[in-house]
Amino acid sequence: MDILKKSFKKSIWVFHLSTAACNNCDIEVLELLTPKYDVERFGIKLVGSPRHADALLVCGSVNAHAKPRFLEVYRQTPKPCLVVAFGSCGCSSGIFRDSYSIVGPVDKVLKEEDPDAKIVYIPGCPPKPEAMIEGIVKGLEAV
Amino acid sequence: MAKKNNQKVMKNLKKKLKKDIIDIVQPRENRIYMRVKPEKAPGIVEYLFSKYKCKLCTASGMDMREGIEIIYHLAKEDENMIINVKTLIPYSKLEIESIGKKIKAFRWIEREINEMLGVKFKGHPDMRRLLLADSFPKGKYPLRKNFKNSDVTDEDYDYERSGI
Repeated sequence: MDILKKSFKKSIWVFHLSTAACNNCDIEVLELLTPKYDVERFGIKLVGSPRHADALLVCGSVNAHAKPRFLEVYRQTPKPCLVVAFGSCGCSSGIFRDSYSIVGPVDKVLKEEDPDAKIVYIPGCPPKPEAMIEGIVKGLEAV
Repeated sequence: MAKKNNQKVMKNLKKKLKKDIIDIVQPRENRIYMRVKPEKAPGIVEYLFSKYKCKLCTASGMDMREGIEIIYHLAKEDENMIINVKTLIPYSKLEIESIGKKIKAFRWIEREINEMLGVKFKGHPDMRRLLLADSFPKGKYPLRKNFKNSDVTDEDYDYERSGI
């Protein structure tokens, strides 16, 4: 528990990953960086590489094409890390649930690779910016 | 004026392709449907594309239960018309000559029909997957009527093929 507290004490850096999302969530993530919500004042920052990230922001119902790529990115993220299942699709595959190419929502895919992964769910299509900030905060409180 | 031209197109097509087509109708003045046999379809589409100067809009595949119907949608732009060439490929022999081997524009749509409906295009130069994931099981065709989502389970996927 000590190492968890220590590793999440400072600013959270987030890597944004899209696993077959419809792009709506991806656009809403950018809204967090605009002056109105400006999450960088809390130190939450988007980074360009999963190796620099404390949290993975995963948008989209994971399909067969994206699954191995998502897991590869997860393997490259330094542990401990927080995984945010973002939007209705990330939480439950949403309306794409019964499609032929979908292999499951984020948590189902991730539990195969790492059963102890810490996952935060932010539902909504797309989630409101306030909900996104609260989701990250709740995730931090939980660890 | 336009109407006159359109009847001319119909007359021309009837004269040129008479022996190859099963039937030909013109439900609206800017639309011609023709139904042809699968063996004759590639030749007719090639003729329409190269000699008759039609442009390819797209081709569409559809599972009609007795077979798979491919419709080639061709636009005759100077006459403001669309010509549809329909062909029904029976399930017993799901193959058709590829047009893509001569005309590049047909290659991608033939790849898509191949992976989604399982029609074999003979002589296609590059028959890789286009839309489906590389790990998707071979021999399963998601846009066929008898495909159920439960036909493909997590164990069927072969992630070795996805190149990661």
